[in-house]
Amino acid sequence: MLLAAGLAVGTLSLRLTGYFLGFRLPETGAWARAFSALPGCLIASLVTVILMTASTAEWGAAAVALGTALLMRSVPLSMLIGVGAVWFFRTLF
Amino acid sequence: MFQPGLVNAMTARHEAAKGFCDITPLSLGVLVYGFAFGLLAAQAQMSGIQTGLMSGLVFAGSSQIVGVERLVAGAGALSALAAGLALNVRILLMTSSLRREFAGRSIWQILLGAHLTTDENWALMHATRSKGHPVGYWYLMGGGLSLLVFWVASTILGIFFAQALPDPRALGIDFAFTAAFIAMLTSLWRGRPDIGPWVASILASGIVVLFLPVEASWALVVGGLVGALTAGAQARE
Repeated sequence: MLLAAGLAVGTLSLRLTGYFLGFRLPETGAWARAFSALPGCLIASLVTVILMTASTAEWGAAAVALGTALLMRSVPLSMLIGVGAVWFFRTLF
Repeated sequence: MFQPGLVNAMTARHEAAKGFCDITPLSLGVLVYGFAFGLLAAQAQMSGIQTGLMSGLVFAGSSQIVGVERLVAGAGALSALAAGLALNVRILLMTSSLRREFAGRSIWQILLGAHLTTDENWALMHATRSKGHPVGYWYLMGGGLSLLVFWVASTILGIFFAQALPDPRALGIDFAFTAAFIAMLTSLWRGRPDIGPWVASILASGIVVLFLPVEASWALVVGGLVGALTAGAQARE
């Protein structure tokens, strides 16, 4: 249980450190621009990291999910079609 | 008679309910990973109560999976803890961007808000807002509560039933989160000023994955920071 307790305390500390850091940065100027861009940059990095180690089938399904998201603007539908596409491409390849 | 407190409470409840409902497809995805973690926890000789407590108090799936997997692989507790916490550095960046949502909140609301912030509800809140819906703190909380309930329940059930379930990969369910994050990314696009920061993020995270022998989570943190700093450095259009 040392791991569980350490992860619980450590993770909450990280979450609260972020909260305190956020309040200490200026609300205008360069820092504000940086923080307003952070959500998109972090998710762009996350998708990059996932796809860097992905197979051809997953790249194909990612393209299908992207097309669905751009056309339908729906997260659940993109998930559903993405899952179907990866199953299809894995069966195909 | 007009009662602003009552109106605010109703708005908060409505927003939390919307967050709870909107995140349902992602919560169902969490269910699959919860079962997988339960199976791993069973291998580490953890009981249902220990697993449920860990899931509720840590509430960071990937770090729990990596930490317990390290233990099962024979690593020491401190080494497993370091690997798990390294994965959670990204959450620091997420809560640091929630200044507007946390402003003026009570201590318990801040603690609860920080604890319930995860990749999924944080990204969904930003994506929903980018579509023109003025959602905030309670939307984040509604989504977080749904994820917490599904995560804790599925990790406990996973201890007993995971071996009876089909492999998520065989059904393609392991791809659900990737598809969700791709869809959220399209909603977060704000136009030309995002080109430079996003390209910088993609290049930086890609370089870390390719050339540095570190956990993939560090690539994510580096990519997010490099992109955000690029946005801060570029002239306002």
